[in-house]
Amino acid sequence: MSLLKPFSKLPELNTANILLVENEEQFQQILAETIVLLKKNVNVNVRLARSLPLPIENEKFRPRIDLVVFIINLTSELSYQSAEVSLKFLDPDYFLGKVCFLVTNARNASVPPERLISVRKLVASLHCPLLFAEDQMTDGVNTAAHRLLAILKVTSGHVPMATGLYLSSLTRCTVPSDIDQQNFD
Amino acid sequence: MDRLEDLASSLETLAFHGFQTPTVGNGEKESPAIEILRIKEQMSNQCFEMIVKLQSGESKRSCSASDAEKDLPDYVNTLEEAEITHFNKTLALHRMQVWHVISEKLKQRDPEAEAMRKLTNHSLDLCLKIKTLQQESFELQDQITALQKQRLDLKRLTHEKMKEMEELKTKGEHPVAEEYRNVLQKAQSYLEKYQKMVAIEQNVLRGIIIASKVNWREDPKLREIAMTLEDITIPDD
Repeated sequence: MSLLKPFSKLPELNTANILLVENEEQFQQILAETIVLLKKNVNVNVRLARSLPLPIENEKFRPRIDLVVFIINLTSELSYQSAEVSLKFLDPDYFLGKVCFLVTNARNASVPPERLISVRKLVASLHCPLLFAEDQMTDGVNTAAHRLLAILKVTSGHVPMATGLYLSSLTRCTVPSDIDQQNFD
Repeated sequence: MDRLEDLASSLETLAFHGFQTPTVGNGEKESPAIEILRIKEQMSNQCFEMIVKLQSGESKRSCSASDAEKDLPDYVNTLEEAEITHFNKTLALHRMQVWHVISEKLKQRDPEAEAMRKLTNHSLDLCLKIKTLQQESFELQDQITALQKQRLDLKRLTHEKMKEMEELKTKGEHPVAEEYRNVLQKAQSYLEKYQKMVAIEQNVLRGIIIASKVNWREDPKLREIAMTLEDITIPDD
């Protein structure tokens, strides 16, 4: 089983690596470009993937991944399922703060509310943070890029006195007990 | 030489900050000292993470997920409490540092120190004034409460007096009214008796005038008397 392990490689100086996993590849590209263009003091490498497991050929050249972001588009069921499947190929050590979920199109009226509920339950069971992003406007993409950069800085060790585990235990997604009866009318 | 001085001064500021990198804005130019420090902190952070991972791998005890879930909030609470105490202690430390600097400054003879001294004196005066004003307001408040107590007492007393009066009214009516009624009845019986007597005498007089066939209309005195006789009726009780 080719699991992606967080501590199997040595970290590089002043560098942070983020992996964006999205089934549809539309938002990843824009987000990646925005992240790279943000002003920062750290060298950020953005890697894109459609799903895990990552191809074995690049195993040697791939650096240590500090943050894995699963992008789920709520308007397609396939996106959610592919993310679920990819989760199995991630080493459990990643879930201690180095995984983040990003959801787009949550405001879309055609989205069945059960999908969002099931995403929330999944993310809450994994104790990971859940972010919502607006992918149609540049402002939304900018905001999402800033937030991901902030989390990335913490998980790659660039913020003193904070680690990914600490941050995720503060910002993790929780599910209210009455979520099944929630009515968004 | 200048470069060394710059470096020395920047190291001094770093030492003052407790060897934590001052956060530079994203994208701004960093001095090499700060950059080195930042990278060093990054490395120590990553080493810390790896040490934690190794330690967690060593003590592998088999517990279920629900047990872990139960323990989790306790650990999070201890973490938060540690954070909070650390933060409070840093705050206290900073406070002490600031106070020390201020007191040192006040002892000097700068124009700044003069301004500071004036400010402290002014604030002391204001505090004294505040104290006296507060004292006065407390006294006034006490007076107000004393007056309110008195008013309440008076109200209570008046209520009691009113109640007494009402009781007396309902009770005292009886003995006085008894005598009054008796006297009234007696007087009424006398009045009736005399009224009857007067009526009878008037009837007799009427009979006499009619029988004697005197023309009482012509004589004014007789006419007066005769007119009064007409109105009389025997009271019927």
